[in-house]
Amino acid sequence: MRFWEQALEIARIDLRVERRLGDVLRIVLPFAVVSLLVFPLAMSIDLTTVSQIGPAVFWALGILFGMQVALRHAANDRPERRDLYALLGVDPAARFVGRSLSGSVLMLGFLLALLLAMIALYSPRLPEGWLGPGLYALLLAGIGLTELGTLAGEVTAGLRNRTALASLIVAPLAIPLVIGGSQTLESLARDTSILPWLLLLVATDLALAVAGVALARPLEEASR
Amino acid sequence: MKRAQILMAIAAAATVAGLYLAFTSPTDRLQGEFTRILNIHAPSMWVAFLAFGVTAFASIMWLVRKTPRWDRLAEASVESGVLFTATGLFTGMVWGQAVWGRAWDWGDPRMASTAVMFFVYLGYLALRRATPDQEMRARRSAILGAIAVIQVPLVYFSVNLFRSLHQTQSIRPDGATMPREMLVALLVNFLAFTLLYIALTSARVEVAVAEERVATDTSLAGDAVKPPRLSEVKDV
Repeated sequence: MRFWEQALEIARIDLRVERRLGDVLRIVLPFAVVSLLVFPLAMSIDLTTVSQIGPAVFWALGILFGMQVALRHAANDRPERRDLYALLGVDPAARFVGRSLSGSVLMLGFLLALLLAMIALYSPRLPEGWLGPGLYALLLAGIGLTELGTLAGEVTAGLRNRTALASLIVAPLAIPLVIGGSQTLESLARDTSILPWLLLLVATDLALAVAGVALARPLEEASR
Repeated sequence: MKRAQILMAIAAAATVAGLYLAFTSPTDRLQGEFTRILNIHAPSMWVAFLAFGVTAFASIMWLVRKTPRWDRLAEASVESGVLFTATGLFTGMVWGQAVWGRAWDWGDPRMASTAVMFFVYLGYLALRRATPDQEMRARRSAILGAIAVIQVPLVYFSVNLFRSLHQTQSIRPDGATMPREMLVALLVNFLAFTLLYIALTSARVEVAVAEERVATDTSLAGDAVKPPRLSEVKDV
């Protein structure tokens, strides 16, 4: 099998496992939507403030719960499965790419659902023509967060406190993604160019993709 | 004297000289005595960047060579870097309270990005503590050490990239934006803090070597005690 065939096959297996387990749909997404309800209640339901903070709350929750999507149970290979991949001669870089692909699909679905919930619950004041640039930003931030989560998940594989530790690593490193995503809408509202923020997102995604592919083999050895 | 002790003595002497110059150099007209904090703040941050750069280099070298000394250097350098980042953040907050009127300002991307960098490397140290196996620890932290350095240019150039309260670089290729006496004091402190970093990191590497020696020493305490021979015992 060629590189991309391997990557696509791994992505397909991941998505099938996730369809059976349903971690993202049944646990992470409902919990994130409940968290959307908590903020207005904590602020005595001040409708003006609620509509102002909507996008910021979306990005904060998107990153925090997005980490749970990236570190979902289905993305945590047991040693036997890792050994099987190694024996089958699966390229570690293809494994990283495949896992990032499946994670990105789930992440985008999750972020879109969270965005719709935020719009419904917060009635935010969004700038005109936000949909296209907003979706670009969402797509790029989602891919970056998945790559970061995949890297952190591999680095902390098999450790007792994996989820907390991986989140501690991902959260600070995801800051360029939060800045890029949130500032895209801010720039639209201020009528300034959104290009620098989209470029920041693209650069972060590319840097993480290069790091993931370049470090795939040591990552595979580290996670055994 | 051991090498670490000699280095520490030189670093201590340079630090005393740097602090003397910091307290005797002229102050800024607007900032007054608080200008002197910058003689600790700026060198601390420079050394933090240096330490994290060394960590990334040592991490890549470990991934290539797999020799324990690179792992020891990476760990020691991160510990020094975290210490100097904390010093830089604290002195920056003290200066900010005095000059800006608030210790923490969200309008300053340098401050926020430095805090982020600090937590990334705390995560690195947490990862090391969470991994009991020595080789796994070295491998995992080498990967993180090589990736985490991406934060350093982001922190350094944040004042140029974003609207910021923070002043931009004071020492530039076209000259410095401060009087000569202040510049000399600042440069001596840069040198002193760099020496201090080298001394602390060397000492930490020596501690790591000693720790490994203890961890790999399989001899029992009882081996040091020889059983008495009957011929040597008189009252039997």
